[in-house]
Amino acid sequence: MATEKPQQKLSLGRVVVIGGCGFLGHHVVNLLLRSWSCSHVCVLDMQCTKNRRPDSDGVEYVDANITDSDQLVKEFARIKPDVVIHTASPPAQGSGNVSHDLFRRVNIEGTRNVVTACQQTGVKALVFTSSASIMSDNVNDLINANETYPIIRGKMQSEYYSETKAEAESITLAANRSETAPNLLTASIRPSGIFGEGDMQAIYHMVNIYEQGKHNVQIGENHNLFDFTYVENVAHAHLLAARALLVTAAAETQPLDHERVDGEAFLVTNGQPVYFWDFTRAVWHAAGSDKGPGSAWVMARETGLMLGFLSEVYFGLVRKPATFNRQRIIYSCMTRYYDITKARRRLGYEPLVGLDVGVKRAVAWTLEQKKKERKA
Amino acid sequence: MPSIKSILYYSFHPVQLRSMIQWKVWHEPVHRRDPSKESKELTTCFHYLNMTSRSFAAVIQELNPDMLVPIALFYLVLRGLDTIEDDMTIPIEKKEPMLRDFDKYMKTDGWTFDGNGPNEKDRDLLVHFDEVIVELKKLKKNYYDIIEDITIKMANGMADYALAAENNKGVETVPQYEEYCHYVAGLVGEGLTRLFVAGNWANPALLERMELTESMGQFLQKTNIIRDVHEDFLDKRRFWPTEIWSKYVDKWEDLFEPANRTKALHCSSEMVLNALKHADECLFYMAGIREQSVFNFVAIPQSMAIATIDLIFQNPAIFYSHIKITKGDACQLMIESTQNLRVVCDTFKRYTRRIAKKNDPRDPHFLEISAACGKIEQFIETLFPTQDPKKAALLAEQQNEQAGAEFKENLILVGGIVGVLLFISILMIGVAWLCGARFDLMFNGDNQTISSVATTTAAAITGAHDEL
Repeated sequence: MATEKPQQKLSLGRVVVIGGCGFLGHHVVNLLLRSWSCSHVCVLDMQCTKNRRPDSDGVEYVDANITDSDQLVKEFARIKPDVVIHTASPPAQGSGNVSHDLFRRVNIEGTRNVVTACQQTGVKALVFTSSASIMSDNVNDLINANETYPIIRGKMQSEYYSETKAEAESITLAANRSETAPNLLTASIRPSGIFGEGDMQAIYHMVNIYEQGKHNVQIGENHNLFDFTYVENVAHAHLLAARALLVTAAAETQPLDHERVDGEAFLVTNGQPVYFWDFTRAVWHAAGSDKGPGSAWVMARETGLMLGFLSEVYFGLVRKPATFNRQRIIYSCMTRYYDITKARRRLGYEPLVGLDVGVKRAVAWTLEQKKKERKA
Repeated sequence: MPSIKSILYYSFHPVQLRSMIQWKVWHEPVHRRDPSKESKELTTCFHYLNMTSRSFAAVIQELNPDMLVPIALFYLVLRGLDTIEDDMTIPIEKKEPMLRDFDKYMKTDGWTFDGNGPNEKDRDLLVHFDEVIVELKKLKKNYYDIIEDITIKMANGMADYALAAENNKGVETVPQYEEYCHYVAGLVGEGLTRLFVAGNWANPALLERMELTESMGQFLQKTNIIRDVHEDFLDKRRFWPTEIWSKYVDKWEDLFEPANRTKALHCSSEMVLNALKHADECLFYMAGIREQSVFNFVAIPQSMAIATIDLIFQNPAIFYSHIKITKGDACQLMIESTQNLRVVCDTFKRYTRRIAKKNDPRDPHFLEISAACGKIEQFIETLFPTQDPKKAALLAEQQNEQAGAEFKENLILVGGIVGVLLFISILMIGVAWLCGARFDLMFNGDNQTISSVATTTAAAITGAHDEL
């Protein structure tokens, strides 16, 4: 792993982190304060209650909703940011009209509002948190995929969340050096399988499975490599991108195509694809499991798909969402890992924290969180 | 004569037996040395090559005529050095300067050495070293210079180690461990790569990426060091660095105590992890070889190494016995290593997955080993991609059109099955009714039992079909 940021902390000027109280966002804030130099850090979030830094750190917290365009422009005009890191997004899980509507409003319209506000207030650099899932059709494998792979849109994209992230990314990247606001530079970060402290999705769910004693099953051969990414590394990539955009903005000439960061999307992972069930086992072991290799009951993918289908039919009949379904089976058997050469070359990205350490931190946090929940 | 044990073994492992026969019968070397055209001295050299090396002699003798003699002589020179270094009957005061002067001996006509202990297995080589010198002098100058340069570097490295060993300084840190592997294996690799490039049998770009060559040597040497830990322990030698083993046991001997097996295994896992990091660069290196016989020469030991890692990984036997891959496996590996890079990559992938399968979540390096395996697979993908992004787009489109229909198809299928079952049930009930079954009693008396069965079944289904 790369060592900590250089002694001489690099400057990012005035920085706004949208969604800075959220899972990824607060890690961006933490890393900003720890490893970078900024003249001002401001967090915009719907409710700045959780994941706040102590007041002594001097971070400004503003309650703001990105679906409210006017408020956004007003705040930006007041704060005058050089850099905007846009991490706000609802949790990816969820289907149905309510969450679809939320995805559309926050991801698409919200991002459009952020872009407009940046353009109107002279922001130099906008970094958007996209998702590597926009390249997946949720059925087929992605084997060492890089940025030249197609983005799966429309009818082909079975996850509406990914569809909205894809649209938001294209809005962000289209705003790079646009005719109306040529001074705004934009870039997009596409993380895969993000996890870490504060994550109420991936790791939380896996620890649940362990606590319910359902960690004894393995579906498929476990030959499928999967990219999971520790949250701090994702935060790191965002800040490197912001820095690169500022450097580009200050340069007199446009960068060469092979070193360009503005208007580009970057896949970001830990650079350590592991076998899918190995990751879950590492989580379960960290959560207290003492199971060795070969102790899990291996179910063929086809059997899993059949059971998943039956479960869908059953839950369909009782009119409840089926938590055990075919998509889950497909995900756990899917090969989905990426080639991050582009981020390495152009952003100088190297993961700060290894997968192993990341898992230990994330599971420790999750167990602590669950203890608190039980008390409450 | 094969032993009874091996007859038994192979009668239960016919695939391995098949590989052995296949290799022995069908293997056709790309080149074969022609003893009729050789000088007397050269024939003697090959005699010593066959005597001193079991594994390398065969592959060396299948090298193309340009590389054959330089590499055979290179091997003998290094073997000669090794014979001096290994010999504990030679006092350090004599050994050290001898090692450092070896490059001078190898150009002194008629130089021989009979000071090795009587038990030193390769002492004959040095007794007749004058014949090797005769042949060395016939080499092309550029080849000779490479051999000489490596000899100087290695001899000095060995002398330093001999001195350090005299002062009871074992390998302490991981960098020291890797430095040791560099002297005994990395340098050999350097010499070979330079010979290959000088003869235009390999891509000159390999000289600019010497870390690839280094990985070739490190991977082989580290594998052997892990495998031979018990043998070395009996010989009172230790190559595992203190930095690693001291995390698991307090004293080196403790590693071999049966009571400490789990700790010892965790320790060996860390050693394996350290070795595995070189595997992808080894594959990269092999992509730079331009000729079949040279490719075979470099690929065979690498395939054997990854197979050996699979054998020793999570295997407690390394702490009380000397294990080796079977002859059958070795033949299969040789068949696979004498074709092309793609086949070697498939071999690596197969063994990588076997290693991954044995990986134990309780091991402190579980996830890192998984990632090391992933790294090898990912690298193979960069050499031979399975996916083409353009085709992926098309494929996705086609597949997705089918996706909508899939649910309906499944529904029809399940519906059909349920329908047939229902039909048969009704038929059976009808027959029962015709035969006089009293269904009315069932609904009156045993009502309760039936409903409770239904609830438990439903509960079982919900339970089983809850979250994954």
